[in-house]
Amino acid sequence: METYFSEVHIPMGNRSAYAPGRAWNRLWKYRMFYLLMLPGFVYLVLFHYLPMLGLRFSFYDYDLRGVGDFIGFEHFRDALSSEGFTRAFKNTLILSSANIVIQMTLTISISLLLNELKNRLFKRAVQTVIYLPHFLSWVVVGALFTLFLSRQGGLVNAVISGLGGEPKYFLGNPTLWRGTYLFILSWREVGWGTVVFLAALSGVDPQLYEAAIMDGANRWKQMVHITLPQLVPVIVIVLIMNLAKIFNLFESVFVLYNPLVYKVSDVIQTYVYRSGITQFRFGYATAVGLFRSVIAFALVVSANKISSRLRGESVL
Amino acid sequence: MTKRKSLHSHSTGYNIFRTINLIFMLSIILVIMIPILKIVIDSFDEKASETIFRIFPEAITVDAYKLILSRPAIFRPLVISFITTISGTAIAMTITSFYAYGLAQKNLPGRKFLMGLALVTMVFRAGMIPLFLVVRNLGLMNSLWAVLLVHAMDAYYLLLLKNFFESIPTSIFDAAEIDGCTPLQTFIRVVLPLSKPGLAAIGLFYVVYYWNQFFDYILYIQTKPNLHNFQVFLRSLVIESDTQGFEGFSFATQSLKNAAITVSIIPVLILYPMVQKHFVKGINLGAVKG
Repeated sequence: METYFSEVHIPMGNRSAYAPGRAWNRLWKYRMFYLLMLPGFVYLVLFHYLPMLGLRFSFYDYDLRGVGDFIGFEHFRDALSSEGFTRAFKNTLILSSANIVIQMTLTISISLLLNELKNRLFKRAVQTVIYLPHFLSWVVVGALFTLFLSRQGGLVNAVISGLGGEPKYFLGNPTLWRGTYLFILSWREVGWGTVVFLAALSGVDPQLYEAAIMDGANRWKQMVHITLPQLVPVIVIVLIMNLAKIFNLFESVFVLYNPLVYKVSDVIQTYVYRSGITQFRFGYATAVGLFRSVIAFALVVSANKISSRLRGESVL
Repeated sequence: MTKRKSLHSHSTGYNIFRTINLIFMLSIILVIMIPILKIVIDSFDEKASETIFRIFPEAITVDAYKLILSRPAIFRPLVISFITTISGTAIAMTITSFYAYGLAQKNLPGRKFLMGLALVTMVFRAGMIPLFLVVRNLGLMNSLWAVLLVHAMDAYYLLLLKNFFESIPTSIFDAAEIDGCTPLQTFIRVVLPLSKPGLAAIGLFYVVYYWNQFFDYILYIQTKPNLHNFQVFLRSLVIESDTQGFEGFSFATQSLKNAAITVSIIPVLILYPMVQKHFVKGINLGAVKG
């Protein structure tokens, strides 16, 4: 009896008689699986591969009037010389890199500190609380902080006025926006980031610590010489995954920015949205989006290359 | 572990460290909880809009919640949110788990190709405008189908599920097949019951995704605002401060805003503790092997 599932195939008695149609027989045997996979396949083709064909519009004059002439790299030249795009590109770089540095530092240190908590119940309680914001939508987080930082009745400004200070418009002031944004981003994501590190820490062999203690290592030395080195592979993976998301600040910026602070907050994706969807410059916005996708892709691939050079194994 | 403790629990330096660590953790809890708690408390407070620093309301009212339940303009988005979350999760779980089930068959012809097809989407996406144009050309504009279908399978969740399915011993599958189960029957009777933690974790992620989704509604449902969900409503009410239609109410729109945020948080708060143990396990299992 031949089964779908076992790894070893037991050939059927007269199989060789079917040799020319063997491939077909194999496909036929798995027909039920292909049928089950069909919706997923159709999904991938419709919503991922068909749009990839649409990337050609980067090279066409395409706006509300429809697809026009082939214009080569004109959209890319336009973008690079446009003030809106260069500003969005600069903001994307600043916000993404600041975000990666802050997130990595905070998640790693909080994971290490959480790992030192000996009271299991307390540790669980902290974990439950710090994972929570990740599950709130960006609209809720945006709404929450819009009210929390509001000049009328917002708790933060109430405290500032209570201490005799001037109420501040955190989300509408270009000098305060970036810091506020990065704080809110960390508020939502840092706790969730610890999941992966804590999992890695719980996998560290206790014998390593016992051996270190025998050698007279104090807790600090244990952390520097055992815990951190054990974390390095996970740190590299998380870094690469963060690089993949580097240009992906869309929703958070979209709910927290406003025309007053476009100068410091507009990122490539919000720029694509405004020029493509609200101004109908489909060809131009596709080109800008493609530019972003290509850089993000190159970053991930090269980070992966570097990591495989350094450690002899690749992440992707 | 006991050894570590006994060796160091009496050192003064370590005790100082533990105290500081404890204080640090408590302050993290405060920083995360205060904004959330303040919104929830203020939703019961009529006078929250006045610039008064107050921790608890003087008088508790549920007027804001009554208004949400009585006004179609607010209640309808809430219903849309529930409907799309349930149907979206059902669609996504079906599509994703069937595809993962197929990928988990080690001898499936074309397995590598079908896997690669999904993996590429993890690293490279065409972007907002090409996807928008496809949705428009498929005739899905201004229909909830656009919102339900454009993100119906996430490659990362697909991999997690595939790893889960592969961790089931092959002999169980063989036994089911010998007993006369078709692949679909095997899936329903054997694979699903054995993969509960993974399915629960990914189900939660899809539920949260569909419940939290807002941008697809703005993008694909432009001329039919009555199909917008609660998140879009919340954004216009709180972030854009669009309080049209609520001026006639005697109490502060501030508590309405707070109540609307609270309503949007509640389903997450109910679901979260139930599945928390599953998602950490589910993620780790997938991540370690993925």
